[in-house]
Amino acid sequence: MSSDLPYTIRCIATLEGHHDRAWQVAWNPAKPLLASCSADKSVRMYAYSTKPSVSAGSDDPSAVGAGRADAIALTHVSTIPTGHTKTVRSIAWAPSGRTLATGSFDANIGVWEQEEGDGDGEDGENGGGGGTREWECATLLEGHETECKGVAYSAGGELLATCSRDKTVWIWEVHPDSDFECMGVLMEHTQDVKCVAWHPSEQILASASYDDTIKLYADDPDEDWVCVQTLAGHQSTVWALAWSPCGTYLASASDDLTIKVWKRAGEHRWEGNLEIKGAHTRSIYSISWGKGKGDGGLGWLTSTGSDGKINVWDIQEPPEGSKELEHKLIASLSSSHDINDVNSVAWCARAGYEDMFATAGDDGLVKAWVVVPA
Amino acid sequence: MAFSGALTLTDLNDFITPSQACIKPVEQLNKPEEILEPGAASTEIRIDSSGSYYEVAKNEPSRPSTVPQNPENKLQQAQISLNDCLACSGCITSAESVLITLQSHTEVLAFLASNPPPASAAHKVPVLSIAPQTLASLAASVSSGSRAPVAPRQILRRVAAFAREALGFERVYDTTFARHLALREHVQEYFERRDGAGQDGSGSGSGKLPMLASACPGWICYAEKAHAEMLPFIARTKSPQQVMGTLVKAWLAPKWGKRPDEVYHVAVMPCYDKKLEASRQDFYSELYATRDVDCVITTGELELLMREKGWDLSVPVEHEDEPLPLSSSSSSPSLGTPDDDAALPELLTHPGTSSGSYLHALIDAVTRAVAPEPVALSVKTVRTADYAEYALARRDTGTVVFRGATCYGFRNLQNVVRRVGREAGVRVGRGAAGRMAGARVRRRGGAAAATTGSGGGEEDRGLDYVEVMACPGGCVNGGGQLRPIAEAAQDAKDPEGFARSWADSGVHLPETNAAPAGEEGAASGDVALAPQQPASWGSKEWTKVVERSYWQDLPAWAQAEDRLAEADALAARITSEIYASQLVQASSADAPEGIQPAPFRTQYHAVESDVVGLAVKW
Repeated sequence: MSSDLPYTIRCIATLEGHHDRAWQVAWNPAKPLLASCSADKSVRMYAYSTKPSVSAGSDDPSAVGAGRADAIALTHVSTIPTGHTKTVRSIAWAPSGRTLATGSFDANIGVWEQEEGDGDGEDGENGGGGGTREWECATLLEGHETECKGVAYSAGGELLATCSRDKTVWIWEVHPDSDFECMGVLMEHTQDVKCVAWHPSEQILASASYDDTIKLYADDPDEDWVCVQTLAGHQSTVWALAWSPCGTYLASASDDLTIKVWKRAGEHRWEGNLEIKGAHTRSIYSISWGKGKGDGGLGWLTSTGSDGKINVWDIQEPPEGSKELEHKLIASLSSSHDINDVNSVAWCARAGYEDMFATAGDDGLVKAWVVVPA
Repeated sequence: MAFSGALTLTDLNDFITPSQACIKPVEQLNKPEEILEPGAASTEIRIDSSGSYYEVAKNEPSRPSTVPQNPENKLQQAQISLNDCLACSGCITSAESVLITLQSHTEVLAFLASNPPPASAAHKVPVLSIAPQTLASLAASVSSGSRAPVAPRQILRRVAAFAREALGFERVYDTTFARHLALREHVQEYFERRDGAGQDGSGSGSGKLPMLASACPGWICYAEKAHAEMLPFIARTKSPQQVMGTLVKAWLAPKWGKRPDEVYHVAVMPCYDKKLEASRQDFYSELYATRDVDCVITTGELELLMREKGWDLSVPVEHEDEPLPLSSSSSSPSLGTPDDDAALPELLTHPGTSSGSYLHALIDAVTRAVAPEPVALSVKTVRTADYAEYALARRDTGTVVFRGATCYGFRNLQNVVRRVGREAGVRVGRGAAGRMAGARVRRRGGAAAATTGSGGGEEDRGLDYVEVMACPGGCVNGGGQLRPIAEAAQDAKDPEGFARSWADSGVHLPETNAAPAGEEGAASGDVALAPQQPASWGSKEWTKVVERSYWQDLPAWAQAEDRLAEADALAARITSEIYASQLVQASSADAPEGIQPAPFRTQYHAVESDVVGLAVKW
């Protein structure tokens, strides 16, 4: 353990309940709610809040230091059995926080909404999140031929992207009343597509594949969606993608044990900027890029994977005279899920919680963590 | 003449790709065999110099020479037949690589080489039928390399000359008359469905509305494997290719004094999936052990044949500018058919779409049916030309009497499937789908009924008909068509005109030989270069060129009405003659009791999805 790192990673909750490996975690962007999905075909939801006893004095959810780890509490609030016939591999919240999409190995995508009002209006910002109203399947999207591996809502919530082992990426337009229209079926990859990720503000989609490449897509207004660039460079499967919060950079994590960061160099052009090697000893399955609680800069990038290790880097614009992003490892934790693979890591994006992230592991556990000064 | 359409397996590019999950099992012959000690490998596989595989018993010291006889066991190659493909739900459409070996231009050449001379009793009459989209593709290609544009009519003459002189075909037709029959049947079927559906609401038995086009084999196959709930909506009318098959085997052959199996019928089509269609069991005659269409080759394969035979399609042939023979009973000197009433009307034009004008034939028919009442047609293109909605409304009341759409490409097809499922209240999809969405769908159905129509407003009538084709751009852009002459080497400039180094900017340009598909690779490279040249479909521009070529040059346009009337008369005669001959057949050979199959209708078969797949763990 490198004890000289400026921050440490503290576990604030270990959430049991899945009886098979947990695949992905996703923070609701609008409500204090965390969702996880699993090979047990269910989705579990947890509400979080700042404990009154701790925050009463300061009324500040961003209390720092060791106390921070004790300041936040997560509790299980609901479970969706989903009805998918196989593993729920992927979940994604719509930006509104009212809709959840599930991608399953049964090739279908479920779109879930909470039963509408029993007169109790919108749940309050901190009011226990999910409440007890049932989540029901509003729509089922079919079309993928085999296992769906990834789902993602665009920044504005107008579009939903899905990807699959059938090598395709589908783009759906979200219509009122839980209706969807297929806007594109992109058959650009030559292998299993592992992940899709939307640009944080524009309608640009990235996908990562077992064919070792990343592809970027944009809408041609007169035509269909098209692939505008292929990013090659990884020597093995690209498992995960994460856009920088500012949208200028795209990070990719691979089976080749590297993380690459690509910089936007034109409207539809990206070029390699940074490569991080040696951070993991086994496949890197997941990365997430949050705003972090550092001093400005480009935010915090975190990674995890088969070696069970979690790394957090502080990313800064290139220093004077350099083109390459500055990256500094600020925290690291081994055996985060004991000996198990960690499949997913995700920063919470809600204001005041930028130092909090969650992980999902092969042990079926979901864990929540905060990054606090050492 | 520089075509780029040389056919290789990697050129296969109909829209829906073969799946990884082919479930054709490897056959295990369970030979009785004594059990050896566990873990001991009893045999090994050896490959001889000719590349054959042998299973060889390993030397067993414990059992010296107890197996003196030939210890080498030649292994059979695993083979996947067309029927395996049709029965398997692993691929969402055809395993095209299988088709290419069973229905190929080499197969045609092999047949022609082995066909005994006409004097022999075993001789088969070789017949060639060419799709109009194929003619358009060839015409566009030839025209692009020469100063004077060449018309499909001239191409037909030239291909006919090639087929007769270089290959030995005895008859050459284009399939537009067969399409004429298909359109008539299609219209008739629509009215049957509409009137049947109107009576008891459920439209049980006789089919349902909206009626969906049945000419695209890619769509049919996809529906059979992935959306069985769409099958009742798909028209049962045969495609022009299969109508042509019926014409050749059930009407022309008897005129020549031949049995169906004494005719070898080759069709040239813009599409690989047409091979699969021809191979369907529905188009196979058990009685004569023959298919209505024996072999299908694509436009690209025809071009390859011509190149292999050194035939230059840009060179005019005699009589190619002569007017088309007007009467079906007059001989057709330019096509060299010496007799008789075996000539069919040529190059009939059906205004509408280059994918067969199915929708427009219905619009015409509905307009005529409403006749004294004038109607107005409105057209609305949604997003791209690949999806357009047509509404026919009475001028006086504004009541919509017919709503149709043209829908090309896999993406639009998805939305049509969803929409038809919603409007007709059919559960879309497989397995758990319905269970999950059940509650909400019901509720939304109620809401939709209240507001009449999902989009609200004047959408008080659902779709009556959709001309569905799997390829973007429709049949002129079929997977078997010629590609544009290869664009000059990849443009090394970006859209703003700056030179680029792709490797530096992290762009992977496929290596020529490692590219997934020769030109395809180049095309996907182009995508990275220039977003205005999207997709691996060859350029959209080229599709437009072929489209123009398709509609080009109609010298006999003035006579079109006459010709269509004449075609109608012939069609009526043919239909009744085929019916009559079927009756004869049915009584002479103990055919299945009861119903006579309508000669120009077919049926569909849902393929159960039984793919378990490997347990995917990542």
